[in-house]
Parts: sequence; C-alpha cells; structure tokens
Amino acid sequence: MMRLPTLAGEWIDRTRTVTFTFESEPVTGYEGDTISTALAAGGARVFGRSFKYHRPRGFLSFANHDVNVMTQVESVGRSIPNVRGDVEAPIAHSKVTAVNTRGGLKNDRYAFLNRLSTFLPVGFYYKAFHSKRLFPTWERLFRRITGLGTVDLEASHRSTPKRYDFCDVLVIGAGPAGLSAALAAASTGADVLLVDENRALGGSGLYARAGTESVLAKTETLVRAVLAEPRIRVLLSSFASGYYADHWVSVIAPEAMVKVRARSVVIAQGAYEQPCVFRGNDLPGVMLASAAQRLLYRFSVAPARRIAVLTANAEGYAAALDAKSRGLEVAAVLDLRATPGPDSADLMAQLSQQGIRVITDVKPIEAVAGRDGSVARLRYRVGGSEEAIAVDGVWMSVGFAPASAFLHQAGATMRYESSIEQFVPERLPAGLYACGKVAGAYDLAARIADGERAGRQAVSALGSVDALPVAPVMPVRECPNHPYPVFAHLAGKEFVDFDEDLQIKDIENACQEGFDSTELLKRYSTMGMGPSQGKHSNLNALRILAAWRGDAMGAHALTTSRPMFHPVPMAHLAGRGFMPERKTPMDADHARLGAVWMPAANWRRPEYYAVPDVSREAAITAEVHAVRNGVGLIDVGTLGKIEAHGARAGEFLDRIYTARYSNLKVGMTRYGLMLDESGVIIDDGVIARLTPECFYFTTTTGNSATLFREFGRLATWWGIPVGLVNLTGHYAAFNLAGPQSRAVLSQLTDMDLSDAAFPYLAVREGLVAGVPCRLMRVGFVGELGYEIHLPFEFGSELWRAVLQAGQGHGIRPFGVEAQRMLRLEKGHVIIGQDTDGVTNALEIDAPWAIKMDKAFFIGQRSLAVLAKQPLRQTLVGFQMPLGVTERPKECHLIIEQGRIAGRVTSVGFSPTLGRVIGLALVDPTVAHQSHLRVRREAGVEASLEVTSHPFYDPAGARQKMELAS
Amino acid sequence: MSGLTSLSRRSPIEAWIDQAAEGSQLRQGMPQPLRLRSTAAQGTAVTLTEVSWHRRLGLKGPNAEAWLVAHGLAPAPSANTWQRANGALVGRLATSEFLVEAMESSAQVAVAAAAAELYATDRPQGVYPVVRHDLVLRLQGPKLNELLRQICGVNFQPLLSQASAEQGPLLMTSMIGASVVVVPVRGTAGAELILWVDPSFAMYFWTTLLQVAAEIGGGVLLDPSNEV
Repeated sequence: MMRLPTLAGEWIDRTRTVTFTFESEPVTGYEGDTISTALAAGGARVFGRSFKYHRPRGFLSFANHDVNVMTQVESVGRSIPNVRGDVEAPIAHSKVTAVNTRGGLKNDRYAFLNRLSTFLPVGFYYKAFHSKRLFPTWERLFRRITGLGTVDLEASHRSTPKRYDFCDVLVIGAGPAGLSAALAAASTGADVLLVDENRALGGSGLYARAGTESVLAKTETLVRAVLAEPRIRVLLSSFASGYYADHWVSVIAPEAMVKVRARSVVIAQGAYEQPCVFRGNDLPGVMLASAAQRLLYRFSVAPARRIAVLTANAEGYAAALDAKSRGLEVAAVLDLRATPGPDSADLMAQLSQQGIRVITDVKPIEAVAGRDGSVARLRYRVGGSEEAIAVDGVWMSVGFAPASAFLHQAGATMRYESSIEQFVPERLPAGLYACGKVAGAYDLAARIADGERAGRQAVSALGSVDALPVAPVMPVRECPNHPYPVFAHLAGKEFVDFDEDLQIKDIENACQEGFDSTELLKRYSTMGMGPSQGKHSNLNALRILAAWRGDAMGAHALTTSRPMFHPVPMAHLAGRGFMPERKTPMDADHARLGAVWMPAANWRRPEYYAVPDVSREAAITAEVHAVRNGVGLIDVGTLGKIEAHGARAGEFLDRIYTARYSNLKVGMTRYGLMLDESGVIIDDGVIARLTPECFYFTTTTGNSATLFREFGRLATWWGIPVGLVNLTGHYAAFNLAGPQSRAVLSQLTDMDLSDAAFPYLAVREGLVAGVPCRLMRVGFVGELGYEIHLPFEFGSELWRAVLQAGQGHGIRPFGVEAQRMLRLEKGHVIIGQDTDGVTNALEIDAPWAIKMDKAFFIGQRSLAVLAKQPLRQTLVGFQMPLGVTERPKECHLIIEQGRIAGRVTSVGFSPTLGRVIGLALVDPTVAHQSHLRVRREAGVEASLEVTSHPFYDPAGARQKMELAS
Repeated sequence: MSGLTSLSRRSPIEAWIDQAAEGSQLRQGMPQPLRLRSTAAQGTAVTLTEVSWHRRLGLKGPNAEAWLVAHGLAPAPSANTWQRANGALVGRLATSEFLVEAMESSAQVAVAAAAAELYATDRPQGVYPVVRHDLVLRLQGPKLNELLRQICGVNFQPLLSQASAEQGPLLMTSMIGASVVVVPVRGTAGAELILWVDPSFAMYFWTTLLQVAAEIGGGVLLDPSNEV
C-alpha cells in the first residue's frame, strides 16, 4: 500500500470507501480520491499508454491536464470517454479502462510501435501516406491505433442547465495571490466571485510546504478570511474555460456551465510546473515535483518510496523536504545548477540536517526502467563522470510556465523577463489584472502582496475603459526557472510533449524542414495539440526552437491560446436545449382534430388532418375536395401581420413593394411582391388599406420578424414618418374558403357579404360572432374565400364557432399540403419554393404585379437593367398524361440535350384535375418546347408536357364568385 | 346570424390549464382556474403566476402620450421606465410607444374602456393602437434570481433589490429565446418581476419556465387576488 498515515486537511474521507474496477482488477479507494489516486494508493504505477508509441505512463502533472491517466468509464449503462483520472472521482461500481490500448493496459498489442519510433518521425504521415488511393486505408489504421476514448453513440442526452452570473470582480485562481486579491477587492465593498478548479481554496499554499507548517498556516489564514467575507462568493471544482469580449468568462462547474459577466477580472491562475527533458522522462515514477506534493498532502498517497529530486530552483528543495516529512526516503537532490540560489541554500541546510545530500551541476542522462516498466535508476553526469542512483521515483522541479491562457485570449501582450526566465504580462487590456506566479511573483509574501495590489486595482478601475499600467515584476531572490532544462540523448526518447509523444529530435527536425516558427512548428509537429493543449510542453518546445535558430527566448512568442482551457464535456457546451416554438391559438384545436404537424419557420402547422384508416394522400385529397366543392378552414395565423400608419404610409409601401399602394382605395387589398436591391424576389403578401392612413399587410411566415426590423430601418433611412406595428403574434388568422364559405360566414356576422358590398379583393372590419375581425376576400386557393384576422385571445373560440357553423355544409379543416395543391392548381407561386435565392421578378411572369412607372421601389433599377437582357430562367407549368402517377419530385432536374436546363419547383397529383401538375424554373430556350425531360431518382427520365397555367379556373371566376352570381 | 356573440377571452396557455388545473371562474372575461391538479409543480422557492386576464392596451405614435394623459394614464417621462397611474402600470417602451396593464381592480374597467376606444375602427389621429394579448406572468420567491440566471443574460439582482411599487426601470430583452418586456416591482410579498411575452410563444415559454422553476423547487401559484 502507498497510502500514507492520516493527515489533517487531506481531501479523502477514510470512513467511506469506493470500489470500482480498473482494467478488470478490483480497486478500492476512499471518498475524495480521484481515479488515479485510488489506483496509486493500491500500488499501481502505470495508468495508461501514450498516444503514438503506446509507452506505459503514470503520473506526470496531476494538475487537471494529465493525459497519461485518461480513462473510459462505464457506469449504469453509460460509457463515458476521456475521463481525466487525475481529477475525476471514481464512480462506485464502475468499470474503468485506460484509453488507447489494444488488448488492455498491461498487454497492449500496439506496444511494438515504441520500437518503430525511428521510422515514425515528425510529420511522417504527410510524407508517406498521401496516395489518394491508399489514404482511406491509412486513415482507418491510424484512427484505430491512436486516439483517445470511444464515444458511446447510444448515450442519452444529459441536460446540463447553463446559468449566468454577475460580479464586480472575478478572481480566477484561489491560491495565495487569488485569495489575497479577492479579499482586497471585497474589502472595498465589491461583489467578488472567486473561481478555482480544485475542490478547496488555497492552491499551492496547501501542498508546497517545504516540510513545515508556515506556508500552510499563512494560506489557511487567508482561506478563513475569504470564507468569512460575505462579499466573496466561491465556486470550487469549477474552471474558467474561456475568456470572451467585455469580460465574459465561461466557467465549467461540475454540472453546468456558468457564464460570468464581470466588471473586472483578476487572473491568479499561477504557473504550470514544467518537466525536465531527458531520456526516459516519461517513465512511470518520473513526475513533476508539484504533482508529488499534491499526492502527499491532498490524498496522502506516496507515489514512490525512494526518490531523487531533479531540480533547478528552491521549489525542488522544498519538495524534497515535503517528501521527507511524509516519510519518503530522499536519495538525493540533484541540482542542475552549479550554484544554488539563496533560497535553495537556506533549504539546503535543512536537507543537510536530515541527512539528504545535494549534488550540484548535474546533467541527467536517462531514467532507466526496471522490470515493471517504471523508473528504477537515474543516470546522470556530474563533474565529468557518470553516476547512477537507484530510485523508484524521480521528481522534476526545473521551472514553470505562466498560466497565461486568459491573458492571451483577452488581448494581453507578454514579454520575456530574463531575470526570472519567464513570460510576464507587458500590456493588459482595461479591466484585466494579473497577479502571483502568472505575473512573476513566486515568494509567498510577494504573491500575497501582488494579489492585494491586483484586487485593489480591479476595484479602483471598475467601469473604466482605460488600462492601468502593468505592475512591475516583483523582485525575486532566486530565479525559479532553468533557462534550458533540455538534455538530448543519442537514443532519443526525451519527451517534450507527452500528449503527442514528441521528442527533441521531432522539434529539431521540424525546424530543419522549415517549420521554424512557433505557429508552424505547432501545426507540423502537433506540439501542444493534445488534451493538455501544451500546458507542459509549449515552453520547452519554444526553448528548443529558439536554441535551434540561435535566437533569444524573447524573440519568439507562445502560440495563440484559445478556449477551451481544459477539456469541456459536450453536454456542458450544449446545455439545456431551448427550442422556442410558436403556436397559434388554435394549436390545441388542431391537435384534437388529428393534425399531423410540420415545421414552418419557428412555428408548427398542420400538414394535414389524419383520419383513421385513411392514408395521408387520401386525407389530403379529401381536404382539397372539401375546398373545391364545399368549404374548408385553414389556420394561416403564422403569416406576418403588420400595420403601417401615417399620412405617408402609402408612399412607404410604394417603395417597399413592386406595385402601387398610394392609390389603393380604402377597403381594398392588393398583392405585394418584395424584391431586394438586385431585383431578386424575397417576399410577398397582401396589403389592405383600412383607412386613408392605415394599411394592414401580411408577409410570409418565415420572414415576418426580419422584415419588420428592416421596415423600421428603411423608414428611418428614407426619413418617412410611418408608424409600424407588428401584430404577428397577437393576431390569429384563418382562411374560410370554398363555394359555401359565404353561407357559413353569414351565420356568424351581420356584415353584408354580398359581392356588391364585399367584392373580391375587398377588406372589411366588423364583428364575427361578436369578435372584432378583419376580413379579406382573397383567392390564394382559387375559391370564394375570406381570410379572417382577429385578436389572438379569441382565435380558438372563433375557430370552433366557424367549424360549428359549417357543419351543415360539410366543412373540413385543411392543412398546408392541401393548400399547396390548391394554390398549385391555380398556378400561384410560393416564394422560396417556386423561386430561389437568385430568382428575379421578371422570371416568374408576373408583370401585373410590377409598376415600373413608379418613382422608386427596391429592386426597380436592377429590373430595368435586367429587362434589357435575356432572361436567365422562366417559370413554366407542366402536366403529365392522365393516369400517370409516377411523378418527379421538387428539385428534380430538367435535362435538355444532356445539360441541366432547369428544375421542378412544385409538383403534385391534382385531385381536381386527376393528373400530375407542376411548375418548373427552366432555361427560356426550352420553355417554348411542347415537352421537357425530367430526371428522377436513379437516372430514370420522364416526359413533362409544358402547359399554360393556372391549371384550374384560369379566368379566376370561382374566387370572384362569378359562377355563383 | 346565430346568437354567437359572447365568445370569451382565452388564456394563451389554455392548453396547459386544461391539463393541469380545474375549476373555472371568469376574470375580465377570461376563464381562470380555481385549483391546480396534484400533478402540477407547486413548489414555492420561485412561483409563476399567470395574470394574462388583466386588461391591457398598447399604443404608439406622435399623439400617443397625449392620449394616455387624457385618459388618466400618464406615463413616466423617459423611455424604458414605468410608473403607476390610477391602478395601472404604464410602461414607456420607447420614446412614443407604451404598454398599459391594469394592475388593480379599480383599473380593469377603465383600461378596458380605454382599449375599446383605442381599438375601435374610428382611430384617433396620430395614435397607433398596438393590440396586445400577451402571456403575462408574475415571478417571485426566494429563488427568483436563481431562476432568472438560468433563463436570461441580464443581471436582475440590483433591479430586484431596488424595485419600487410605484415606478422603476422597464427592460426589453430575451429570455430562453423569446422576446420579453420585464418590469421589476415591489409587491406585498417582496420584489417580483412582471413579464409580457408574445402569446405565440406562450406555451413554449410557460412550459419551459415551469420546468426550470420546478428543478429549483418552484412551481405554479394561482393568482391569489380576488379581483375579477
């Protein structure tokens, strides 16, 4: 067992155990353990296989980005890929396996790839596998032998509600600097939100103790003060994942994403410890010293029994003291420097008192694996001779990289500060502050002071758009970073990027091949593109790049950092699915009548009304027959419904639509066709004049909101004082159509419905069943009909009243499909179906709707130009012989002499005419032909007879009711 | 013509009411439920009360403000604010666009009469009636802000803490994908929000909001007032 004795403040609850299996072996941990600490406590050293060479791996950073411990977790019917074992708690009774193995972790059949590494240099796939014929084969192979977890395609949807949060000051990172910043900001009265990815406040102040209680005590004092401060809210186990404009920060909490809007942001995320690059630095047992310290103090796990600390800073000496204080044997401290700094010297004395030897000016040669594959010896060179030391753990403490991702995302610039061999902020945008290690402050007192400075600045500048000067780097007694902790070996396997298995030679080869800038190097080598996104590799790669080019470190910048900071579950990103859906007031009535729904923009409409034991086609046919021969009722409330008020409202509409409305008589309607500036048709509707200064008009369903906004913009642009009112949602509308419609309606109103008093295309306002309504006699479906518009809150009641009144006339509700056929029989176009994104007004053969003699309308100038040119396409009608029911579909192509000459836009079997009819947009050169060929599925062609349209009642007698009169 | 001259107003969430409530009384001509069925969420952490039955009107135009003043419904002086006038909430949505909601019994009749005059076919000059059949909700409860943080990107906390019974800010924003007019009001039980939602979004908005509210211990509260 590697579990250490109980320690106050440890994160595990030893009274409660959790059992699960790892690679089919039973594992028991405590509540509070992560997957990897539970494994390590049981003595495990190997947790996963590397991405490319399938090398055995153990702990590296243990800091929320440890790719070596990526697992697949199966629990209660769910299989969750890429669970990070270094931070995720084991689920009781779950089955955990390492990702990216074939045959299991111990016996991974792809382990042979490690021996082929010579043949797999950087970018090898670009050079070797570009054959178009073989590429799919190689791609499948690579996908099989590399990669991470397996997505469970059957996984059920997880609802993870997003939420917003707001604060004056957002502090990201709750180490000593962040705690201090939060306290300073709150002390001035600011509302502070403090976010940390760990489950407890304190950061490195809880585990980087140097074997004493001093650092811990100071940190705990800060923690207590924060918890006692009511103006500080704390979000733990939550990490900021992205920084967006105006201080928007996405925070990933355990079960949800929180979108935080802050007035100021303090970045106190500290620094990532960086590995020393030497042969075998990836062997299980070789890890960052801070990882080991976290294991010792948070989880009471000893990752080794006898260790060597490979260091170049005082933090390494402190880690050695921590190891000793927790009962581990420290074989030696191996310092890369010839002369340790003053802080190290202080600690060296303590080490000496405890019998720990310190060897300086060390150059590591390699870590050597034992029988179990984990580290057994460390070979190094000192004073011109080679030495070796037997250990089962090597802790690396050679420096840090600032956690500056959000500074980059916010637009900060960084500079290389040679006194501490680190990038530090050079210029910060307004409202953004950095403190602690990320800003170059390492000493505990310095970090606390720096945090206090940042917290106060964050409050003092609230609401300011000007950036404050960046605080100077706090002076340090000892540089915390080695300038070049990279030690090449002739046999390679000195890993720079552990995610992608990149070695020193890979970086150098990429440079040699011309990819010698940070961004090119990243893309060619995949450096920093693994799950940890370069947190432990980018800095060393940059050092190698700079050295290869002979440049100073400051000559190169780190690669651009983009969200997400840590991997984010897709469920968090998706969040709770809000799908706004609009319904007319008759929605429940339609459901009761058996509506089969179809989407129409963000509304739902009845496609048709299902009838038991009757097919869809038969039900639609019956609805068409009802309208043609009796009476039908359709909900058209989804149409846009807009009013235009004012003395110049007619002039306004004259400019919007192609026809003229300033001369429209009160009480009449007129069709409206709307174009864009290029003459392309974008919408249509019916415009009614209710009073001399009030027009009421409709738009298509999908365009109402967009057009209403555009009308407002145009009114302002043109300087026409018109009052626009959008009634779309507040008005219901239905169309009562058919020869019997007048008879039905007359039962519900005292209005004079006669042709003389209420002619075709007239509009009237009056009471229907006591409800104030607007009635328009329009003929979209080609029969006598009344489009009834009324207040939303009476829609359902009046719908039912009309159906009741129509019972004696065989009234039938009809849906969108029947309406489409009815209008097709009339040859009426549907904008967006019979037209497309390039169809202009001249191409649909509707000259009656276009008044080119007007002073202006949108698209007029383009039409004038287009009128002088040959038409690009034109709309024709077609029919198929009687008895032919096999018909083309919409968008099937018209083929003429082997070339595409058009497409079908509308087609259907007309119950009224007993044959297939349709419309097609075709090349004008074929429009005059008697027949066209259409290519249906599987290349089958059919003949279409070109015919005039409307197909039904071409004179429009029925909608005008001339037959009846 | 038949005797169908007394159709009642209908709530925009009538379909939900039919399933989740029972009993009925007419309030300003709109049937309102008397009791909730046991299946309806009835938590109290945050409560949703539908008051669409209130009488209301909307108007805009150069003479709209004068028309309101003449009808005893003087609006607040600046855009995006509201104030109480003779038992009604008068919101100024823009420089010359207004929303009037009868908040007290005494105002229902007056607002109904004003609306009838406004919406008549004989329209006043320079006054453009805006028909409003909104879903109107009152939201309140200790977890109101928690609910709001899940449905809207606006920080309502300071608005709620400063809410007044007589006047205050008015917001037009988006919640769960639907446009809303929002007014923070100090009610008898503390700060609350009144929302106006396009009725075509009503069922979506209500059911979604109720689902979110229920997850945090909230539910439906039938309008406890005795107004009719």
